[in-house]
Amino acid sequence: MTALLTMKNLRGGYGDSDILFDLSIEVAKGEIVAIVGPNGAGKSTAMKSIFGLLDIRAGSIAIGETDITGWAPNRIVKAGICYVPQVKNIFSEMTVHENFEMGAFLRKGDYSAALDRVYNLFPDLRTKQKATAGRLSGGQRQMVAMGRALMLDPQVLLLDEPTAGLSPKYMEQIFQISRDVRDSGVAILLVEQHAKQALAFADRGYVLAAGRNRHEGPASELLADRHIAEMFLGG
Amino acid sequence: MDMHSFINFFLLPGIVQGSIYALGAIGITLVFAIMRYGHFAHGDLATFGAFIALAFTTVLGLSPYAALPLAVLATGVFAVALDRLFYAHLRAMPKIITTIASFGVALMLRSFVQVVWGVNTTSYTRGITRPENWFGIRVKSHEIVTLLVAIALVVALHLFLTRNKWGKAMRAMSDNPELALFSGVDNGKVIALTWIIAGGLCAASGFFLGLNTELKSLMGWNILLPTFAAAILGGVGRIEGAIVGGLIVGIAEELSVLVIPGEYKVMSAFGILLLVLLFRPTGLFRGKVL
Repeated sequence: MTALLTMKNLRGGYGDSDILFDLSIEVAKGEIVAIVGPNGAGKSTAMKSIFGLLDIRAGSIAIGETDITGWAPNRIVKAGICYVPQVKNIFSEMTVHENFEMGAFLRKGDYSAALDRVYNLFPDLRTKQKATAGRLSGGQRQMVAMGRALMLDPQVLLLDEPTAGLSPKYMEQIFQISRDVRDSGVAILLVEQHAKQALAFADRGYVLAAGRNRHEGPASELLADRHIAEMFLGG
Repeated sequence: MDMHSFINFFLLPGIVQGSIYALGAIGITLVFAIMRYGHFAHGDLATFGAFIALAFTTVLGLSPYAALPLAVLATGVFAVALDRLFYAHLRAMPKIITTIASFGVALMLRSFVQVVWGVNTTSYTRGITRPENWFGIRVKSHEIVTLLVAIALVVALHLFLTRNKWGKAMRAMSDNPELALFSGVDNGKVIALTWIIAGGLCAASGFFLGLNTELKSLMGWNILLPTFAAAILGGVGRIEGAIVGGLIVGIAEELSVLVIPGEYKVMSAFGILLLVLLFRPTGLFRGKVL
């Protein structure tokens, strides 16, 4: 399988201090890849590095054959990567519908098909189009956040802790929707605190520690490995 | 006091003055919503706009009302240039630096007006306008125009922000700047748009202040405090708040002469500002915390 998103030997951080030391991650079209690891391992930072939010000192990031290392966020969006941050991931004072319109900001012409697809993925939101996004429940806000990112038909979807703070019911729903999105041909990279649940649902996984790759492989193998379970997955 | 004198001497002048504050306060609130700093050159930018309109009447021989749209446009473009020259390179620094820079810009603008047009008082039209009398309510034509144009500008702005793609991008940038970037919004364009709108409305406020009173180089500086009070009372970042805040401050100033001498009118704006900051710092419409 050829990789769609490739992060190769990344080193970088904020200001003078490095957080990532030697990180390599690949995601192919139509697969879900989970990044797990202990607190402070650099999981969220790894994701932010793709979006040009930290100073990259070595290594490269590419989508397909195109090197996007150091690009500004609006160019990266145009290249087909959409990002759902963990917090502040919706326009809370705007309506659900306006959130999706902002998701389609870069689209030219009619985007009603994309809008329809998003409402089909999140049928709960169809009746809430005019509701102020910030007033919805946590699970519904996460759906708005994902819907906004999907309005551009991205090739790669980045999800930073998509189930943090959600009830098991919503967690399962978000996982199921992510599978549907994957099956439509999107590459999904997600960061998760709930390592076991994430690996149970992802296709492949990377275990990070101190800004480096520690283990990688099919998610089921990582889950089954007793050593990894003891060290990183909380027994 | 009977109803007619209350309306004629307090309510109407208060609403007219309040509309002038509101036009300025909308600009202050917009600049804060998008760029997160208080723009203290806003009063002197209003002075500049008022005198640009005067220039259009004297140089081109236009009537004041014909000069208004030209002055609005010119001041909007001028505000974009001010931003590029003096504020753009400070964007990544702590916001207080830009706030202080805006004081410097205020002084420059005022000096520019004084060098070009002098320090004497002047006006758009000579002579005294007689008020119309409608069932005992006396209102001057330029007061009616002030209200109608202010309403039209506010409605146009509202439609732009709720219907237009770039208007929505402005709201998105105010709501969640990072997410707006992740959605592909070009923040440079949104900032330029914000200055065109804030500068244009600022020119309108200066023009109407000059039309209803007189033109002088300190006119804008003198309304800076009540304009800021209006923006903060409404809730910074809230356009509807800036309008309501402007009207409240304007009416309160007129009513204050019932209890304090007229030359201390501006104290009522100061009093409102103090009370809001003490008891409800987010303002009436729950704006962004300063």
